[in-house]
Amino acid sequence: MGNIEVVGADFLILGGGAAGCMAAIRAAELAPSMRVVLVEKAEISRSGAAGRGMDALNNVVIPGVGSVDEYLEAVEIVADGVLEPTISRVIAERSFSLLQRLEAWGCEFPRDSHGRYMVGSFHPKGRFLVEMRGDLKKILARRVASTQAKVYNRHVALTLLREGDHVAGAIALDLKKGSLRAFTAPAVLLAMGGAARIGLPNTGYLHGTFDCPWCNGEAWRMGFQAGAELTGFEYTATSPMTRDFNGPGLSTFIRHGAWLVNGLGERFMERYDPVRMERAPAGVRAQAIWEELRSGRGPVAFSCTHLPEETIRLIEEGIFETERPTMRDYFARKGLDLRRDPVEVVMSEVYLCGGHGLAGFVADAFGETRIRGLYAAGDCLANPYGFLVGAMVMGEVVAERVASRRELRPWRPELGESLACMEETLARHKRGALGATVKEFEYKFRRLVNEYVAPPKSGAKLTRFLRETESMVQDQEDLPARDPHEIMKVMEAKAGLFCARMAALASLYRTESRFGLYHYRVDFPQRDDLEWKTRVILSPGPGGPVARKERP
Amino acid sequence: MNLRIDEELCLRCGACVEHCPGDVLEQDQDGRPFEKYPDDCWYCGVCQAECPAGCIELLFPYLIR
Repeated sequence: MGNIEVVGADFLILGGGAAGCMAAIRAAELAPSMRVVLVEKAEISRSGAAGRGMDALNNVVIPGVGSVDEYLEAVEIVADGVLEPTISRVIAERSFSLLQRLEAWGCEFPRDSHGRYMVGSFHPKGRFLVEMRGDLKKILARRVASTQAKVYNRHVALTLLREGDHVAGAIALDLKKGSLRAFTAPAVLLAMGGAARIGLPNTGYLHGTFDCPWCNGEAWRMGFQAGAELTGFEYTATSPMTRDFNGPGLSTFIRHGAWLVNGLGERFMERYDPVRMERAPAGVRAQAIWEELRSGRGPVAFSCTHLPEETIRLIEEGIFETERPTMRDYFARKGLDLRRDPVEVVMSEVYLCGGHGLAGFVADAFGETRIRGLYAAGDCLANPYGFLVGAMVMGEVVAERVASRRELRPWRPELGESLACMEETLARHKRGALGATVKEFEYKFRRLVNEYVAPPKSGAKLTRFLRETESMVQDQEDLPARDPHEIMKVMEAKAGLFCARMAALASLYRTESRFGLYHYRVDFPQRDDLEWKTRVILSPGPGGPVARKERP
Repeated sequence: MNLRIDEELCLRCGACVEHCPGDVLEQDQDGRPFEKYPDDCWYCGVCQAECPAGCIELLFPYLIR
């Protein structure tokens, strides 16, 4: 066993996306003497799902425009009745003060001619979406840099450390040096995002996903192995995204009044949700598009051709200048003009996400999981449709909790066993006896996800997936990795397979249909509120993962 | 290949490498950035945005072009 550097901290944050950065900033504000350490596998000014930019805060309760109760009703609709509202309430109550803080730090929130925030509708009811401009992650990273927090960029968190029933730190891989580094802390925040690379996009590119492809459920695998519980894994989301580019725009198009049209030129949502139309819950919208395509009425597209020039400009400004400027290049390459051309969409690969889905760690109102000292925030927390606001609010909430608890005693977990275990794991990957590459391995299970886990689902298909991938759980330990980057890819692939299997397990357990297309079981096509208006919780058990209802 | 980097304009500053969220890029011995792991690119454009010389053009992978 080699000697490794051990970094002691009071508050260890794994993942420097929006949630992780906010946690670091808030912790530093409240406790300037606290040793805050932030571990990030990329570089915090450009990392995470919001790394390139975001053109709106989707869920802000602005006084006079919306109310917390109205927001909770909207999220309840989106979550199709299985909402555990505690965290959603916290997010709603703090959302406007978060906006004000961001504005004070330099984020731009454009105003209309009356000086009011530009608020739009994205949820099935209410108006909570606020237009945003500016480079959010750059702003957050600068704030982090002004605190005492120590940032370790290009460090891949590999495993959590425990001391008894308490979390005690983590072991990470220094991507540039190729060496391991241990971090010990009495409080650890998992803020490492959702899982984007679960299904396979129709382009075939492993990283050509809708959601940020470098977040692949590593936090979920690590946290579950440490004893934390997960929920919402049967909410296998798939979103209508710009064909091939698989790029953002969905919420931008919808809030600005774009229509979904089929190949016959029909605004087909009239057939599926005549009241809410394009603003129907995501799963209902997905089911409608799937039905249109299946019936041969494709291609399906977002049409903006009926919108006035000023609205088109707002859409272009949001997507092309703030959220994903490379989409402008893509549109130019394809000769697309929103004024004239419908933008064809296809259903994205299946993904799992807390922020724009229901999947994530089960946690209390302070973001603490069922493992003492282990917290979660952002897309890896089950903060149903909390989006970016949810990530940042819960990052702050966790920091406040950690600062108030003052469990800042030195923490010296027994490193030996965990370290030896990790070193053995890495040595085995270096030997790489599988005879297949990590890309082949990933392609294989993701292709199986498309066939057997992606909706429409059935017991037969889900069982088949679990059986077919059983041997891959053994195979994964012999995946080859020649350098630190490849070790990162192996860890992402392992986490992806773990998440896919958890999705299959949760989907198999929920013997009804719910969430529109997302959990449509052909063998249980009816929704059953009496039995199933409850979350499905996955817990680690001695014989493997165990599924149960939250309310029996 | 997802990018075209204009070698004449490139300052060899490494900003694109430092910020790439996918750890896709690396600098060669002369400081020239290149795509070491092109399959991991999300064509997010961070490299382009961070480049002070404006020397990076995004090509997109072939199946998407």
